[in-house]
Amino acid sequence: MSENKLHNEQKLLDLLEKKFILKESKIRREKRVEVKVEPKEIIPVLLYAKDNSGYTAFTHMSCVDWIEDGEFEVVYILWHPEEKINFFVKTRVPRDNGTLPNIDFIWRQANTYEREIREMFGIQFEGLIGREEFILEDWEHMPPMRRDFDTAKFVEKTYFYRPGREDAKDVREYVQERTDEELPDFAKKYSRD
Amino acid sequence: MYNDKESQKIVDIIQNYARKHSLFVLAYGTGCGAIEIPPTMTSRYDAERFGIRGAATPRQADVLLITGYLATKSLKRVIKVYEQMQDPKYVIGFGSCTINGGMYWDSYNTINVLDKYLPVDVYINGCMPRPEAVIAGFVKLQKQIQAGKADGWDKYKKNLDYYKENQKKVITNWVMPDFNW
Ligand code: SF4
Repeated sequence: MSENKLHNEQKLLDLLEKKFILKESKIRREKRVEVKVEPKEIIPVLLYAKDNSGYTAFTHMSCVDWIEDGEFEVVYILWHPEEKINFFVKTRVPRDNGTLPNIDFIWRQANTYEREIREMFGIQFEGLIGREEFILEDWEHMPPMRRDFDTAKFVEKTYFYRPGREDAKDVREYVQERTDEELPDFAKKYSRD
Repeated sequence: MYNDKESQKIVDIIQNYARKHSLFVLAYGTGCGAIEIPPTMTSRYDAERFGIRGAATPRQADVLLITGYLATKSLKRVIKVYEQMQDPKYVIGFGSCTINGGMYWDSYNTINVLDKYLPVDVYINGCMPRPEAVIAGFVKLQKQIQAGKADGWDKYKKNLDYYKENQKKVITNWVMPDFNW
């Protein structure tokens, strides 16, 4: 890839680096820019990207559970309609009582994602409007998308099992068997048995 | 005349014959399998030649199709719908998710074995079953009805405690009126 080709991507990074304190910034590949920031920088960075750089479309917002680091990583994905570039803004919050700023005044649709993340992971968003209960109904256990929620055990306890599918295996074991790949220790620790 | 056993038999045969040729299916889909219903109903596979057609409300329907995985949230609605339907009513479990959980067997919010919660008359396996399989399932149900063996609704009444116990095990916040008929 020539320097020229990544011109637009580099332009965004240069602007951001001048204005904000970025923990990490890189061009993943063509049309894909990634920055990591502190939670308090989220709103300024997103606003700047929207108003000054043309990243007007909010595509997605998701959450990753880094249980090994004791942190959740929340990813905001923006899209530039003319230059066709994806812009990823990542931030990390602690797993226990993590709070993030609410961004639904920038893009209304972020409200839906934030409510889902609140329900599925238990991250609080400051001043988020909407009922606590979103997709799940009468859920009284740990937020189910957390990696320390043991789904298999929960299913065993709650639902019935019809015999005949005892060969169902953990996908990770299956992959390991097929490819002779060594599983990292942390993956073993949270696997089924 | 109705006290007469022999003539009751004849009435039953006529009744069952009429029932089996007018199966009104409730237009309600739960999982991905519902996508196979439009081709089954429309001109290519034309289920109406078997007397199978859609009904808009539970009170007009005879057959409840559970088309795939059932989240505990929709189980609540399905039970409500099932209890509103008029006797005789039949349940068809559609796709492997209803049989043993299918590919969602270890999901935290889908039930695995449908017949613990509702009486199932016919299971159609496959993920998802093709329209031919769906029609084969319906034909099987018709045979059961003709033979007077499709009595899931009767079993539901008689074993209500068993079904309610299982249902309440997954529906923790029970806010529905109890079944009456
Ligand atoms: S059996 Fe397959 S097609 Fe049917 S609901 Fe389950 S996953 Fe979907």
